[in-house]
Amino acid sequence: MRDVIVIGAGGGGAVVAKELAAHGLDVLVVEGGPRHAHPRQEWSRLENDANNPLTGYLRVGQADRSKPAAYRELPQNSFLWQVSGVGGTTQHYFGNSPRAYPGVFAGYQGPDTDMYDVQHRFPFSYSDFVPYYEWAEATLPVHTAPVGTKESVYLRGCETLGLPVQDTKTTLGPSYRPQENAILPPGGRAGLTTDPAELRHPTSTGCTFCGHCFQGCAAPIDAPRNLFAKRSTDNSYIPMALTADAWSPGGKPITLVTDATVTKVRTERDVVRGVTWQDNATGEVSSEDAAVVVMCGGAVETPRLWFNSELPNPNDWVGRGFTDHYLDWTFGLFDSDVGSSKGPSSAARTDYPGYGMNMNVGLMPGIEAFAMTFSDSGIRGHYTNGRGLTGPWDGETGRLVGPELKDVLMHGLDRILNVVSIVDDDVTADNRVTLSALPADENGAVPKVRFVNRGRSKRSVRNREFLAHRAAELLRGAGATKVYRMDWPALPLHTHSTMRMGHSEADSVVDQTGETRAVKRLFIADNSALSNAAGGPNPTLTTQALATRTSEHIFQRYFGGDPWVRSQAPTVSTDGRVTRRLSELGL
Amino acid sequence: MNTDPHDRRTFLARIGLLGAVAGAGALLPGAVASPGARAASGARAASDPLLGLVNTALAELARDTLNGLAVFVVPGPDAYSAAQGTRRDEPGAMEANTPDFLIESLDNYVPVPDQLAGPLASALANGLADVDVPLPDGLRPLPTGELLDLDQAVRTLLRNDETVPLSLVIALLLNSLATLVNPAAVGGAFLSPFARLSFAEKAEAFRMMEEPAAGLVSAIDDELSGPLQGTASGLLEFIAGALLEFSAFGTYCESSTFDPASLSVTSTPVGWRLSGYDPGVIAGWDEFQGYYQGRKEVSAR
Repeated sequence: MRDVIVIGAGGGGAVVAKELAAHGLDVLVVEGGPRHAHPRQEWSRLENDANNPLTGYLRVGQADRSKPAAYRELPQNSFLWQVSGVGGTTQHYFGNSPRAYPGVFAGYQGPDTDMYDVQHRFPFSYSDFVPYYEWAEATLPVHTAPVGTKESVYLRGCETLGLPVQDTKTTLGPSYRPQENAILPPGGRAGLTTDPAELRHPTSTGCTFCGHCFQGCAAPIDAPRNLFAKRSTDNSYIPMALTADAWSPGGKPITLVTDATVTKVRTERDVVRGVTWQDNATGEVSSEDAAVVVMCGGAVETPRLWFNSELPNPNDWVGRGFTDHYLDWTFGLFDSDVGSSKGPSSAARTDYPGYGMNMNVGLMPGIEAFAMTFSDSGIRGHYTNGRGLTGPWDGETGRLVGPELKDVLMHGLDRILNVVSIVDDDVTADNRVTLSALPADENGAVPKVRFVNRGRSKRSVRNREFLAHRAAELLRGAGATKVYRMDWPALPLHTHSTMRMGHSEADSVVDQTGETRAVKRLFIADNSALSNAAGGPNPTLTTQALATRTSEHIFQRYFGGDPWVRSQAPTVSTDGRVTRRLSELGL
Repeated sequence: MNTDPHDRRTFLARIGLLGAVAGAGALLPGAVASPGARAASGARAASDPLLGLVNTALAELARDTLNGLAVFVVPGPDAYSAAQGTRRDEPGAMEANTPDFLIESLDNYVPVPDQLAGPLASALANGLADVDVPLPDGLRPLPTGELLDLDQAVRTLLRNDETVPLSLVIALLLNSLATLVNPAAVGGAFLSPFARLSFAEKAEAFRMMEEPAAGLVSAIDDELSGPLQGTASGLLEFIAGALLEFSAFGTYCESSTFDPASLSVTSTPVGWRLSGYDPGVIAGWDEFQGYYQGRKEVSAR
């Protein structure tokens, strides 16, 4: 009998595990994918080896890469981009850690209050939530990003937009800034050298500007795991959870089981009893009981597990309300080097509360080519699927294929600057996760992810058009000689709100403490619990702050403890006690 | 099920198989010339040499079709690019081994359940043979008995879910669409009708997948079991996109020269050369320029 079982060691589950382990609870974490124990020996940091959704080390599937990836039904033009394994999708994230806009929280009374998804606000105020942001920001830790060439070019474009620079944690209005990100700043020779001898820890510390955030961070060479530059949870929260006794008085290290898929959350009279999981390699089935279970598999896997466990769904909102930031992609060609392939993958941004945000992105050439062929507007110059949008970009939106794709990429990867538009999209009941009618895999029925590409709300469409226009203006301001807009179909890689937290019992799955309305002692603390799209800002920090808040509620309600965020000081994940214990444990 | 020999000849020509078997038959003389009467005697044994021959021909057909697809996305100096009218001097998808990348991915790693792949193949085998296409003289005419033999071998292979590689299903789909776009594509250079299309005609075939015609959708839907009916249009939309995006990704990533043992490339991949990508030493770049406006920290507010 465990105190707590956490399902999933990604962006949210790792936070719950660390916070509760710090307070002495007996925590078991079961993760469906692998733990990459030695990334520098295991990871090439090349994009097919890393990111191929079928075979890459950052895919959704079991550790054995000779076996097929997990199948998820996508009944439309779309691409679902998630990652299993310890660290979850934070393994390939860019580390960007902005706060959600205040307008997405209850009680907001700013002059633009009607600009947001007003039907689906978080059930507490921004000011009530700030201490949890501060706690997560200090733990990761979050810093102001440094600038490389592509940031200089992006910020030069921002300077032509007539916007102020944001120099606060809270976004107070339309503005631009370097990212606040969970990447350790460059120290020593990092960022100043290409000499491998100097790129070793401790001669180099923090970000080495290698340009491979999306392929998983393993820099600098020889750095201890909790001093890797990017603070994905396999480098930050999980190392803390595994060493909780070393840095927290009374702390108890977690038990971590990996490459094992939870197939059932067991309940009795609508109270959780425990979980059952299956080892991916051997098929061996295990089961444990717990006082509390926390589901953290992500916005697709958590509703899947809920359905496969045949848990109650009285208001039919399990899996509904999927927000994905309705991403779009605009890029410009430049006559000079803009450094796209170097440095943190995105380190500058423009915020438009009420609409969403734009940010720069640098990629390797394969995923850049993927991004340029991905469109809901058909093949440029040939057909439009009834779209083919026009605006301050050149020509119509659409896929670049054949000679045009080749010519654009031959212009030079490092003379292309990308801007991704991240939309404040509405919670919509029809965008949802259900179970597929296709055959089940060894873990049960597989999820089906339905996005109605042409059925987005008027506000979501308005916001996306606004951001795409601003992106094109920014690129022209920065000196682009030609600008393309893609009009992406659904690309859920920011995935949220399928098990949403809300005020109303009519359209939410968890209450304001994170506990599910239908099953007691069962909590949800991944991005599926977000109430809405967070206004557009990258969601991970908000998920982590919310998971921290939910951890306090678990500790108070079921273990008689006191909350800690307002009364204690957080320990930073780079703490030397974590480093030393990891070394003692051979981790 | 349509069994009219004329229609079946048309169907086999349209998916590219008549030409493919004609080529393979030259390697295995007599294999196709099995007695037509056997067609009426029921299912073929797995050891039947005709099944082996047809299997080989179908694999070659699939590869030829994917050659035509890969150069559609990234053309180069090869014959397939020339045939679509977009020959280029620089290397392209063929030089990047993108067809291998596609076949390997589709057949070994795309976890599309047989319950989807089988009906799709079956729909293409049964449901799209209605449009009459004049066969060119160049195709080796098969006597009716042999034609039925061949047709039955194809049906046997497509009915057996375990033997339908996804690359073949994709090839059947692209070739069927190709002959809808341009009926004359049933004959000419290459094995694959899709590979014979011009660039604009290939784009039209993709339009038909992304804006699927009702007839195509219903033909596939009819083959799907109850709970899956109605999914054909979404499936076609997804496949159309994935084929283009994976061809692009496969050509520009490191796949063709990657060495798993050393976790590095053995030579500069085609896509890196084309895009001017330089990974440097992988471990870092001298790219740090400082902090915007000198600010290393924002206010806590």
